[in-house]
Amino acid sequence: MISKKALQLLIDKLGAQNVASEKEDLLVLGYDSTPGLHHLPDVVVYPTTTEGVQAAMEIAYEENMPITPRGSGTGLSGGSVPVQGGMVICLNRMNKILEIDEENLTATVEAGVVTLDLFNAVAEKGLFYPPDPGSQKISTLAGNVMEDAGGLRGLKYGVTRDYVMALKVVLPDGTILETGGKSVKDVAGYSLKDVMIGSEGTLGIITEITVSLIPPPQDKRTFLAYFDDVRVAGATVSEIIAAKIIPSTMEIMDKATINCVEDYVKIGLPREMAALLLIEVDGHPAVVAEEAEALERILQAKAAEVQSARDTEHAAELAAARRTALSALARVSPTTLLEDATVPRSRLAETFAEIERLTEKYQLKVGTFGHAGDGNLHPTVLCDERDADEMKRAHAFYDELYEQVLAWGGTVSGEHGIGVAKKDFLALQIGPGGVDVMRRIKNAFDPKGLLNPGKIIDGKQQ
Amino acid sequence: MTDTDKKDPKLSPTGNFSKQDAPPYEGSLQCMRCGFCLPTCPTFVLTGRERSSPRGRVALARAVAEEKLDFTEAVKEESFFCLDCRACTTACPSGVKAGEIMEICRDQAHQLKPGGHLSTGFRNFILQKMMPSPERMESAMLPSRLYQRLGIQWLVRHSQLLKLGPDWMAKAEGMMPKMDKPLRLQLPEITPAIGEKRGKVGFFLGCVMTLMYPEISRQTVRVLAHQGFEVVTPKQTKCCGAPHLTEGDRKTARDLALFNIDLFLDQDVEYIVTDCAGCGSALKEYEELLEGEADHHRLAQFRSKIRDISEFLAEVGLRTEALKEIKRSVTYHEPCHLCHAQGISQQPREVIRQIPGIELREMKESSWCCGSAATWGLKFTDESQQVLDRKLNNVKQTEADILVTGNPGCQLQLAWGVREAGMPQEVKHLIELLGEALPESDND
Repeated sequence: MISKKALQLLIDKLGAQNVASEKEDLLVLGYDSTPGLHHLPDVVVYPTTTEGVQAAMEIAYEENMPITPRGSGTGLSGGSVPVQGGMVICLNRMNKILEIDEENLTATVEAGVVTLDLFNAVAEKGLFYPPDPGSQKISTLAGNVMEDAGGLRGLKYGVTRDYVMALKVVLPDGTILETGGKSVKDVAGYSLKDVMIGSEGTLGIITEITVSLIPPPQDKRTFLAYFDDVRVAGATVSEIIAAKIIPSTMEIMDKATINCVEDYVKIGLPREMAALLLIEVDGHPAVVAEEAEALERILQAKAAEVQSARDTEHAAELAAARRTALSALARVSPTTLLEDATVPRSRLAETFAEIERLTEKYQLKVGTFGHAGDGNLHPTVLCDERDADEMKRAHAFYDELYEQVLAWGGTVSGEHGIGVAKKDFLALQIGPGGVDVMRRIKNAFDPKGLLNPGKIIDGKQQ
Repeated sequence: MTDTDKKDPKLSPTGNFSKQDAPPYEGSLQCMRCGFCLPTCPTFVLTGRERSSPRGRVALARAVAEEKLDFTEAVKEESFFCLDCRACTTACPSGVKAGEIMEICRDQAHQLKPGGHLSTGFRNFILQKMMPSPERMESAMLPSRLYQRLGIQWLVRHSQLLKLGPDWMAKAEGMMPKMDKPLRLQLPEITPAIGEKRGKVGFFLGCVMTLMYPEISRQTVRVLAHQGFEVVTPKQTKCCGAPHLTEGDRKTARDLALFNIDLFLDQDVEYIVTDCAGCGSALKEYEELLEGEADHHRLAQFRSKIRDISEFLAEVGLRTEALKEIKRSVTYHEPCHLCHAQGISQQPREVIRQIPGIELREMKESSWCCGSAATWGLKFTDESQQVLDRKLNNVKQTEADILVTGNPGCQLQLAWGVREAGMPQEVKHLIELLGEALPESDND
């Protein structure tokens, strides 16, 4: 419970319209997109300035109240869920694009700017912000930075981390930290911005971000290839990379997903195929032509069927199946568990085989799609949270899969983050030494342990 | 999904809802909280407040079913603050129908949180006495007696009770088009096909169309005949029930639905065509509304015949030989109850493009609500204005001569908005445009 005094102080500092403590508001600000996770905060604030964030955090600090930052609540690992109650700081009203600097090729935005809004704003100036997480239509930039969001373009263009140049952050005690800048080279001291990226809101709250921009590709070609064996699809991915072609998109869907999509939209997908790959190459027209030719040669040799887009409209048609994958899967059952097991590319085919084996073993309905080019897969279990036994099997499925993924040198999270659900696996992946260093970093930023407690690593041990 | 009582109450709880017409639990459970609906929701974009978003509203409904929350005043407020524009349905990957859940919650609101005696009385008078009777509506709407009969004075006195927005009356008055005689009594029951006959269709003449836009529906029948269809317009047609669903009176909506199903299935028509997106959407939902309460086969049969006029013309193919050229530029506003509730987005554009001489200029955000949304535009006048301004700004940028739409609610709001903003666009129903392209010499 928040004290009357603290509540009044928040209202005085932020304005009544930016503070919510009614049950109906609290109920809908205690979840994100992580299935089965819901906790009630005690109070929610909507600061509109860095100073507002600072004021709110100082009040929480005085009250020893846990603080959980929140953007649009689209996360898939519980990053913005207030697992210990306390204060939720919603940053979605800080949504101004402050500057697009065409000389330095940077954009500076407030924390709550929506990813796609930034993409569109810079595109109007002939520039390109590549990170495109699946939730880009509503995800916020600060959320992207905190989770180090990836997306379809990750293979060629990298992920959010690769574009962050500077951050303005409020630390739990109210200190403002500015790290990085517009200089392309910057080796002044520890790279605190890199510590902050992917920290899932456990070290500070971002209020301002400067990202780098690049010129957009001038041309692109789209291919769709079907395979009758998922291992061949996996091998083809490796062969394409080995041929030194880095596609801007290289997406994979398995048979179960193809069939779910066909059930849903009926666009004539071949139900008998084991996998499909959606591949795009982009860049300078001459390079695109050359890469497309080499790519088509490889696909013709390996795939059961290859389609090459005639024009943009046809390209959109070819991409339709992949674009619809999540919708098609999510409609099958009430609960959709979407994970992000990631392996070195060379292990792609084996990972599919393992998913197939475990699906059989645990008697589940699983559709797998993902970013084949970077080994980042989304094995998606379609289940019903009201069926306790099925949920138990689903968790056993992921447990066993992650053990194998780690044995292959993969990671338990390619782009969703650790949050609350994967803390044990993180410890397995980075070892006690790794966990200990992380804990020391956490303590340095947040000695009282108030900021997003219960995420990534468990509370302090000294 | 209305037969919740047949389901296992442990798996499909109704919790703190009234058991009568509780929102199906599965509908809320299906939400995976991905947030894809948020940027499409006009009330979320206006407020930035989660509980005023589809995801938030569905979470509230779920919390009521799970007994984590009573059906509180705030839940009631949200159910009426929702525009029911269904943009979230289009955006939802997992098939959640937040608008429909809120519509059902409005019915719950009347059960669990009834308004004062007077407002309930007035609501029941309009929804249960006036609207189901075409005759009463017509006599009330006689232009000279409009104000008195519809009880506008009464409304003024009780506008507080009805929670209408500030300046709603000036707006309502400003929105009224010039009224002609109701069309229902003028239209023949059977209008013969012209030229080579292609079939026989029923025409569902909606209340707002016959009372406020008789000239538009006259064109609909004329166009259908010109396209080679014999048109049956049953005089007894009753209100489709959309206003009742919107205001949360599902019982009366069911009675009306049952009547209209019997009426039209007796006509031996291949299709049932409407020129009102609101009616079309309600008619297509009869199947769900009456599930378990009427013969399934008849419901499916009725559903399979319903077509919006643009959907129908695109499906059967427009005969364009005799059409005159109209050298004008148009832009198209998609009615929510056409694009989101019925998934009809390309067909109106196809028809527009086939009119000789017409240049179609796409506006930005063509499927964004205009802010009319039945009585929403009168209850939330300020918010409605903000939603409308966004629309008008997008219209302005096209510099088109004509703003085309396909729903009377949108047309009332847009025509008023364009006039207030001093914009040059004419606002027309798609079928008016098509009517203008017809050769004059044909019947009438």
